[in-house]
Amino acid sequence: MIRLSVHVFRFDPATDTSGRIVPYTVEVNGGARVLHVLHAIHDSIDQTLSYRYCCGSGQCGSCAVRVNGEPVLACMEEARDGMVIEPLKLAVKRDLVVDLMQNLDAIAFLAPRAELVFPAKDEIDAIKPLRSCIECLCCVSVCPAMDVTNFLGPAAMRQEMRLALDPRDSRDRITDSVKDGLFTCTSCQACWKVCPKDIEIPGKAIEKLRAFANKKGLTLPRHQEVAALVKETGRSVTRIEPTFLEQVGEVLEPYGTGAPKATMGFFVGCMYNMRLPKTALDAMEVLRRNGIHIIIPKEQVCCGSPLIRTGQLDILDALKRKNIETFRSRGLNTVMTMCAGCGSTLKNDYKNPPFTIMDINEVLTKYGIEPPAHLPIRATYHDPCHLLRGQGIREQPRQLIRQVVDLVEMPAICCGSGGGVKSGMPDEAAALGKRRGEEIQKTGADIVISSCPFCEFHIAGHTDKPVKNVASVLLEGYKEKDKKSVKN
Amino acid sequence: MAFSLVLCHLFMIVYTPQSNKMRADSDGMECHVLVIGSGGAGVRAAIEASAYGDVVLVSKTIVSKGGCTPMAEGGYNAVLREEDSCEIHFEDTMKGGAFLNDPELVKILVSESPQRMDDLILWGAVFDVTDDNKVAQRPFGGQRFPRTCYAGDRTGHEMMTTLVERLDGLPVDILTETTVIDLLKEGDRVVGAFALDDKGDSIVIKADSTILATGGGTRVFDISTNSASGTGDGYAIGYRAGAELIDMEMVQFHPTGAVFPYDARGRLVTEAVRSEGGILKNTLGERFMKQYDPERMELSTRDVVARAIATEINKGRGTKNGGVFLDVTHLPREQIEAKLPVMLEQFLKFGVDIRTEPMEVAPTAHHIMGGLRITPRGETTLPGLFACGEVAGGVHGANRLGGNALAETQVFGKRAGESAGRSEKRVRNVDLRQIEGQQERLSRFLNGSVNPATVARELQLAMWEGAGIFRNANDLRSTLAMVMHLPASDLKAVSARNLSECCTIQNMCLTASLICKSALLRPESRGAHVRTDICHAWDAQTSPFAHTYISHARQGIERRSHT
Ligand SMILES: Cc1cc2nc3c(=O)[nH]c(=O)nc-3n(C[C@H](O)[C@H](O)[C@H](O)COP(=O)(O)OP(=O)(O)OC[C@H]3O[C@@H](n4cnc5c(N)ncnc54)[C@H](O)[C@@H]3O)c2cc1C
Ligand code: SF4
Ligand code: SF4
Ligand code: FES
Repeated sequence: MIRLSVHVFRFDPATDTSGRIVPYTVEVNGGARVLHVLHAIHDSIDQTLSYRYCCGSGQCGSCAVRVNGEPVLACMEEARDGMVIEPLKLAVKRDLVVDLMQNLDAIAFLAPRAELVFPAKDEIDAIKPLRSCIECLCCVSVCPAMDVTNFLGPAAMRQEMRLALDPRDSRDRITDSVKDGLFTCTSCQACWKVCPKDIEIPGKAIEKLRAFANKKGLTLPRHQEVAALVKETGRSVTRIEPTFLEQVGEVLEPYGTGAPKATMGFFVGCMYNMRLPKTALDAMEVLRRNGIHIIIPKEQVCCGSPLIRTGQLDILDALKRKNIETFRSRGLNTVMTMCAGCGSTLKNDYKNPPFTIMDINEVLTKYGIEPPAHLPIRATYHDPCHLLRGQGIREQPRQLIRQVVDLVEMPAICCGSGGGVKSGMPDEAAALGKRRGEEIQKTGADIVISSCPFCEFHIAGHTDKPVKNVASVLLEGYKEKDKKSVKN
Repeated sequence: MAFSLVLCHLFMIVYTPQSNKMRADSDGMECHVLVIGSGGAGVRAAIEASAYGDVVLVSKTIVSKGGCTPMAEGGYNAVLREEDSCEIHFEDTMKGGAFLNDPELVKILVSESPQRMDDLILWGAVFDVTDDNKVAQRPFGGQRFPRTCYAGDRTGHEMMTTLVERLDGLPVDILTETTVIDLLKEGDRVVGAFALDDKGDSIVIKADSTILATGGGTRVFDISTNSASGTGDGYAIGYRAGAELIDMEMVQFHPTGAVFPYDARGRLVTEAVRSEGGILKNTLGERFMKQYDPERMELSTRDVVARAIATEINKGRGTKNGGVFLDVTHLPREQIEAKLPVMLEQFLKFGVDIRTEPMEVAPTAHHIMGGLRITPRGETTLPGLFACGEVAGGVHGANRLGGNALAETQVFGKRAGESAGRSEKRVRNVDLRQIEGQQERLSRFLNGSVNPATVARELQLAMWEGAGIFRNANDLRSTLAMVMHLPASDLKAVSARNLSECCTIQNMCLTASLICKSALLRPESRGAHVRTDICHAWDAQTSPFAHTYISHARQGIERRSHT
């Protein structure tokens, strides 16, 4: 037997105006799950504890709760000492029981055709990955778009895609899904990352539905404009000032006399190239100072992310081929990105590129940096969705930031700039940006640091604090250090 | 201690028992057909009945999430190929059931199962298919043809999802998270049910016909595969209303339940693991099935494999955790990933990669073959009451073949739904004294003194010890005595919301007593029922006995006339 002290959210609508967290200590057997801890509390301490469960084996989706903030299935998640167990972020009925019905009712059902069309094996194989959903609503509980729009949500989109693929269904699911908010998804990947069945809703349902919508001419006009621009110029934004690529040479040698620590290609991406070139230049300085030898092929083009996220796939393969060939022909083993969106796209949407892709935060932590001066600044860090969830990069930027400023954490929520939402659904993007701004305000930080041009650009419009890139802040630290050493 | 003990907590809460109240809207709740239970059988019945009049579906759980149907992994038996035949499926089922099955029900099962499969496919079920676009089938224990259709190892979930989607499109009123605690009667006739909602408020539902589809009840045993709703409510509710139950001693112990983690013991390891080629070994590394059934080996019937594993463990050839090894590491990784994804995922969560390490398994209480006696139309012995699915008896005899229960839910769910739907519309009267009686029962709980969880634990341990895989009269009698003495009427409900829990535990006690009594009524070993204290010369085919039966009015065992 093991003894566990846990904290559980309690709320009784009859007597409480808000919930409270109550500590309990229980004994359970080794390997016990969160559910068994709840049973132990219910059976021996307080029978009024309400929680839902049925199958006890991850198959019915009744028991989802948050453990230490993360949605999990109580029956599958191993119980840990000190854990905090709370209801999903949905309307709480009592204790850990939330209202599921409203969202379950939103999930569409098949409308059979008059006569049976038996689906073929390839159709079944396409549907199957979307079918293992147990409707636990973990995904719904974390979806930012649902908070600020009438979006039906990831579980419902998964179902619309599943129905769109099924020859037995008689409805036009594409038009339905557009009505139900298909274009409000910010591609934040939160739903997929909490799904106990690992259903890749953004990539396997939402982007696919958007591609179907594109075939039906339902792509948003603003997204069409972006696609036209990419087709015409190879870039997703227009030139308004000298670009990064225009300002640098093809080869940047590291400073100092030592041998370079590494050589890598640099994929700049449209935003850093054309909207925030100064930030990219800062990054080059930091890299050179830390012994990185950088090759910057000038014929690189848009990675294709704005097209993939919005379902406009016509010229995608041409872009991919061009980029791969550009870096392959330089004989590069590693290509570095500093845009979270480009990095996620090159890593996840390019099939087996002949080089490794690394985000700049990975590069700098892998090869190590010269310590900068510690600036007297309190900063908070915004996790870009495409870095945190798209690439699994959480610690590296924090490790760098802590070397130069004091870091105050805030919740990792989507700022609203992704998935074509900023251009296509500006009101939604603003509502999410506002929420982000409020969280920033709560931290009391002096500045906001991030590592994605979309986030940096968007958040800057929703906070009065300066928004800076990790590399720019590091560079400030170096400048301060240099200033001090000149004085000494 | 086998269960979780609580050491301390910071403050004690003092409760004033709130009494429950009658729900305001409950007075007018009337329907043509009331369906109790939202598993495969209940939802199928509701779909069918909705063609004839207004239907109310009541379920303890959220509709798509309740019962054992969404947990069913392995598959659904249906004769779909030229080379197979309903006659062979019939013979396999009768043989597997030790010839205790009701042959007429079995004939219906095998002949209608393919049509019910067609319904599912029409409504959107995503079963696995072969390269030539036919529903794929896998071999299951005790069957001479691979006739078990499947959706990976989440077959029941696939069916449930499909059925609920179908139901969504129909005008059926659904009361979720509402527990039926008893049936209401007018004379002999069942005319509806008394239920408690999730707040503990009472609801009276009047109906022309009522269908019990509450599923099974192996939660009365310490180690069980069943969902939380597998507490035998329907057996107890039916019995209290006066219905007759048959073969309640016939409890299937599935050979392969997980043994770790201990608090999740009993969790099913699907038979599909063995049908995909999994092999059983004891700690000496011996493939021991060759001693018990050299011909069928791991794919022998469940009763045989379960007893083999139990014997190996009893003889000291089991693992530290009290199991034997079930090994698929010799199979290609892709096969494991494609055909057993749920198993792979569950074991990975529990720290075992079944692609590289063997699983540890031991028998677990899985299925109750007995239940309410039904006619081919799904009628019970009480007018106005129908039953289908696991709560009904007779289809599986003394041992159920894997894949036949899911088929049963569809075949008999449809039949019960249709019969109930076709039944006459009546003036609905409920004798108010019954409602007062229920209110009294509930207020006793509010003033009771015993923690229901403690009673449930005692019951489960006693049943596993005394009425498990190997039985004898002495143990059965002492278990029965112990069960009868549990303070089931003095349970304490700390709030109105806990009332249904108390009712459930009463139902568990009653169901357990029916199992023990029926086990004492059958003086032979037959199928899943093994009496170690009785030797007999006959085998299943020549046994002089047929069904055991039990009701308020009578109990006994039927004799067969052999020709
Ligand atoms: C883990 C597992 C795996 C299985 N695998 C297979 C398989 O592969 N193939 C196969 O053929 N069979 C399998 N079986 C058996 C099969 O799943 C069940 O026999 C079958 O699903 C029972 O269906 P049902 O509709 O009768 O009951 P269930 O699906 O159990 O549904 C019962 C319903 O009744 C409700 N209910 C219960 N009591 C009350 C009450 N008092 N008031 C209101 N509602 C109530 C419950 O909430 C639930 O909705 C498996 C069983 C288990 C446990
Ligand atoms: S990717 Fe983000 S916004 Fe889109 S559905 Fe998932 S959680 Fe919602
Ligand atoms: S998609 Fe995943 S997280 Fe969402 S409801 Fe389904 S199983 Fe749960
Ligand atoms: S209880 Fe069914 S998924 Fe956890």
